[in-house]
Amino acid sequence: MTDFEAIDHLLATARREVELPPTGRRRPLREALGLSRTQVAQALGVSPSTVGGWESGRDPSGHVREKYAYFLQGAQAKLETQAQAAPAAAPAAENTAHGNTEAGTAADPDSDEVHTLPAPQPCVLCGQPARRHVAGFPQHLDPAECAAASPAPPAAPVPTGTAPAPAPVTAPAPAHAVAPRPGRSVKAVTAHRRTQAASETRDVIAEAVAAALAEHAGDVEAATAALVKRAIPDVMALLDTCRRGGRYEIVAHPWMPDILRKQTARGPDQIWEARPKWARPELPAGRHDVSVLDVNAYYLSAFKTHLPIGQLEHTSGPGHDRRRAGVHLITPPAWDHDAVLPNPIGNRDEAGPLWVTEPTLRLLLRLSAPAYALCDPPEIHESYTSGATEGLLEKFRITLRDARDRAIAAHDDVTLEYLKAMYSKFVSTMGESHYNRQLYRPDWMHIIRSQAFSNLWWKAYKAYDEGLTVVSVMGTDELHVIGDWRSVFPEGRGVSEMKPKDAYSIGTEPVDES
Amino acid sequence: MPERNIDFGTYGARGIKAHEAVARQLDTLAGYIATPVTARRGLLARLHYLTRTDHALNAAREAGLTVTGRTLRAWLEGRRAPSRKNLERIEAAYKTVRRHNVARYLLGRLNADGRGTRVEIHPLNQSQVPRPRQRIVEYRSFNVRHWDRVIQAWADNDTQALDDAWVEKIVDLGSQWGQYEYVTNVGFAA
Repeated sequence: MTDFEAIDHLLATARREVELPPTGRRRPLREALGLSRTQVAQALGVSPSTVGGWESGRDPSGHVREKYAYFLQGAQAKLETQAQAAPAAAPAAENTAHGNTEAGTAADPDSDEVHTLPAPQPCVLCGQPARRHVAGFPQHLDPAECAAASPAPPAAPVPTGTAPAPAPVTAPAPAHAVAPRPGRSVKAVTAHRRTQAASETRDVIAEAVAAALAEHAGDVEAATAALVKRAIPDVMALLDTCRRGGRYEIVAHPWMPDILRKQTARGPDQIWEARPKWARPELPAGRHDVSVLDVNAYYLSAFKTHLPIGQLEHTSGPGHDRRRAGVHLITPPAWDHDAVLPNPIGNRDEAGPLWVTEPTLRLLLRLSAPAYALCDPPEIHESYTSGATEGLLEKFRITLRDARDRAIAAHDDVTLEYLKAMYSKFVSTMGESHYNRQLYRPDWMHIIRSQAFSNLWWKAYKAYDEGLTVVSVMGTDELHVIGDWRSVFPEGRGVSEMKPKDAYSIGTEPVDES
Repeated sequence: MPERNIDFGTYGARGIKAHEAVARQLDTLAGYIATPVTARRGLLARLHYLTRTDHALNAAREAGLTVTGRTLRAWLEGRRAPSRKNLERIEAAYKTVRRHNVARYLLGRLNADGRGTRVEIHPLNQSQVPRPRQRIVEYRSFNVRHWDRVIQAWADNDTQALDDAWVEKIVDLGSQWGQYEYVTNVGFAA
């Protein structure tokens, strides 16, 4: 044993860098002498925070290291002399440097539940190494020991003559001899990345509105104009906030197939969004009162749709995978109900295959299923799809919807205008727009629009199914019906309600206006 | 895993060099005149851009538009039309001058006061590679803080320098950076 110690000592002294006591001992040494960090720092010519750093894990190097080592050695030596002068035998320190375990440090209160451990184990209360085993758990006997992180063991019991007096007794011999890890370990609470509920996030919308109103001194029009102007960057920031903790990253710049690229600077791409423009060809005889209904915030509701997450991949041949979404080249089925219901692919003049998006395809597939059996299934030729989720914009949608509901309840027109600009510009600029370069997803833009049209189609179907006469379905949000629509749709301004916009009467002649 | 691909595409992988994708994206962000130079409207727009000030004209001459002022005036007034070779020169000079003019602002936006810009890397297309030879190459995104060398190389139209500058950036992706020497797309906003 002594041979090895001599070798260890030799190795320790042969190292170029001066050995320092372990990190956990440094602060107790300083505090035991009643010195402040600033005093030590002044003496060593460094800043107090540097000393703090050394005491919490960092190591100095070079000249300062030697000075610091000298200080610590001196402090140690001084404490040892004080301890020897003290009359009472200090209680045995729990981590003696030399691991003489079976010596048992005479003063063990060996009751039936307290055992001495052969090797120190982390205390269950404070994490510092403890030598006692109480009621099945390694822990400190004295709460004072537990409270202080590695309390300055003033009486590191000096074994007789292993080293000359000023030599660092606790200078840890190379790694195998001591276990400095449990000594320096600080109880760490892992910071879980948890998802925030929508209510926990700051209300950035309200903050922006308040700031704009304050800046324009309550001038509502100027504030609204300023807010609408900054709607695009704000909505992108809101989207980022809403994706925090989300499962999928938003892929903003994927490669796009040519069908989704604009052919010329101002021309369209090849996707058919199935925008409805339909008027009933013949009305029943007599004079009718037509109500014009408006879908509220139709793009906002359309955020709940199957969006492809990553880059679109090409497949050919029939078959539809419900877990994927994208754009599809289909031959639409014939539509025989044009007299009462609009064609779900809109008023397409040309026959033949066309590129439609996921919502349109799902609408056609659903209508061709036995539950409705309104048409034949569409024929899919090829597809560009990616794995899809309906939840990608869900939190974003709910945040905007709640803000909209609050603004309606408070009659806050500024916020309403701001929100409207946010979600409508989000949709219109998420493709290849120079106004929004954060997001290049023309596929999402088409899919969200198609979803809005698909939602409108279902509203028309519901009206038809409940016995109303659907007169016209136009644009993105307009539904003209004859009959008592209030028994079918709730009236209001919420996203699930319908707003009456206008009313007119038509005679016996067929409807020709659109 | 080689860091540089030696014989790309032997087994059917498809993609472009990452620095080409970067240059393409930077070109998109720079926003050139959309109308082609072969149309009168596009030609006039480019000539106006290159002759608006003396400074612009000097830059155009440095960029290789070595025609006399008399010829330029004749082109602008429509008395003469540039030959095909001169059309190419006008286009090249326009792109060079535009890149140089835009570079400063683009750099500022991409560096974003030290915050940098998030870059998405979409890996190469392996759909034509036989199944046993396909490898898992993931979509990656990372943040690039210093764009100075990239923008400089792009403005100078120096392909080799742009390649070097970009490789210096993508080594941040870790030991697999060689998988991203060829990509389908590199996306970032400015």
